[in-house]
Amino acid sequence: MTSSEVAIRVDSVSKSFGRAGREVAALEKVSLDVAEGELVCILGQSGCGKSTLLNLVAGLEKPTSGSIDLGGRRVGMMFQDANLFPWLTVRGNIDLALRLSGVPREARAERIDELLDIVRLPGTGSRRPHELSGGMRQRVALARSLAQDCQILLMDEPFASLDAITRDAMHDQTERIWAERGLTILFVTHNVRESARLGDRVIVMAPGPGRISHDVRNSLPRPRRMEDVAVATAAGALHDALQLRDDEAARA
Amino acid sequence: MLRALGRRTWPPVLAILIALVIWQVTVWSGWKPSYVLPGPAAVFEALGEQLATEKFWIAIATTMSRALVGFGISLALGTAIGLAVSSSRVLRAAVGSLITGLQTMPSIAWFPFAILLFGITEQAITFVVVLGAAPSIANGVISGTDDVPPQLVRTAQVLGARGASLYRHVMVPAALPAYLAGLKQGWAFAWRSLMAGELLVIIAARPSLGVQLQFFREFADTAGLISTMIVILVVGVLVDRVFSVMANRVRANRGLGVVRL
Ligand SMILES: Nc1ncnc2c1ncn2[C@@H]1O[C@H](COP(=O)(O)OP(=O)(O)OP(=O)(O)O)[C@@H](O)[C@H]1O
Ligand SMILES: [Mg+2]
Repeated sequence: MTSSEVAIRVDSVSKSFGRAGREVAALEKVSLDVAEGELVCILGQSGCGKSTLLNLVAGLEKPTSGSIDLGGRRVGMMFQDANLFPWLTVRGNIDLALRLSGVPREARAERIDELLDIVRLPGTGSRRPHELSGGMRQRVALARSLAQDCQILLMDEPFASLDAITRDAMHDQTERIWAERGLTILFVTHNVRESARLGDRVIVMAPGPGRISHDVRNSLPRPRRMEDVAVATAAGALHDALQLRDDEAARA
Repeated sequence: MLRALGRRTWPPVLAILIALVIWQVTVWSGWKPSYVLPGPAAVFEALGEQLATEKFWIAIATTMSRALVGFGISLALGTAIGLAVSSSRVLRAAVGSLITGLQTMPSIAWFPFAILLFGITEQAITFVVVLGAAPSIANGVISGTDDVPPQLVRTAQVLGARGASLYRHVMVPAALPAYLAGLKQGWAFAWRSLMAGELLVIIAARPSLGVQLQFFREFADTAGLISTMIVILVVGVLVDRVFSVMANRVRANRGLGVVRL
């Protein structure tokens, strides 16, 4: 760990669901320190406990054992599903986030326009969530999570349903806001290359029960692009790490 | 536009026509003498005559103002109780099943008690109307807040909504469709209770739709009786439509399907 301050400390956290005697272990003894200002990607196959880990960090659920310390930092979260409020328009959804963060009314309209530009949805402000495509809904959710006044941002597969071009743009914007605001980001993804494109560090998780199998530093210089050879090479190495683990599992 | 309107109106119009035909055929069959069961033509003539009398409009005004007062009190009381019960675990355990119990109680069974308590007065009627309608409205609030999708609650919590602001910004708007359904049901109960009340609690020298029914029965004026029944039906249905339209507008705004509540 570098000398900078730890923003997220996950200390041998286990989480199981279900009634006593018939528990399903979703996470077992997961430990993880994330430095302030770090952008950490969490990579792992479906069901290995990535969302569970984010929910625990967000404080939405309590660990069965172990502890999580954020040093009193404020957390924002973007869920795997957009979870927009269906009774509010796109603007209304973002407005509510700003309002709950204490942004005064006069400043909100301009911020909403700015956020809609960032997620490339200008002019959709008056639409309702059900009138948007899945990818558009995700981007409104991104705008809403960026509207929060937070120091730690948790993102659960935010760009899984976007086309490649929009996704590239969202990567640039996420990176920009991360750098501007000095955010600490935990970014969950299935996509190996995306993790190599974005992360300072890539945490690889393994299922059954969920645990951390690799913690890979990724010090490729920014700006990076999905198409960069270096990113592809890093992704290749991560792939091998995942593969290796699968082989081990097959042998066991 | 006109065509769409036509498509929406013809089914109910057809249904009414069928009912009228059955009615007319029954009359023609000679099952009952025409002074006991008059045909549609005689009834609509009686209805026209009634509409021209001052007494009818006074009766309607009395009945509607009772409905308004009773439903208004039910609205305030039912909403307050619903909010209190849905936000407190203790209250829910204590009062929750009582509310459902009250809902299954036929309101007419309250009248003897109400008359003993309040005498033959307006209060007796209002009392029973409120007992009929308020539980439905409270239940609308409770089931609405119970059914708020948990992931929306979590989202709101992450956005910083707690306690009162969570209620105001998420629970209440999310519960709105169920609340409107509760209002609609509450209205149906209020209207039924009110008609029962006006038949049982007859206050002297105060014409109302219920009193009209009694009056026509005593004079064996079936045409007048049926025409009053039609008025009661029409008023009930019209108010019900208002709630349906509101509920469906709210649902459409959220991308939920239109329901025939
Ligand atoms: N509320 C819950 N009740 C019971 N089991 C749960 C609950 N939430 C998660 N689980 C279980 O915990 C495990 C991890 O789930 P989680 O949602 O964290 O996976 P994930 O890594 O986010 O998967 P995906 O990539 O598909 O989103 C799964 O086996 C899941 O069935
Ligand atoms: Mg997940």
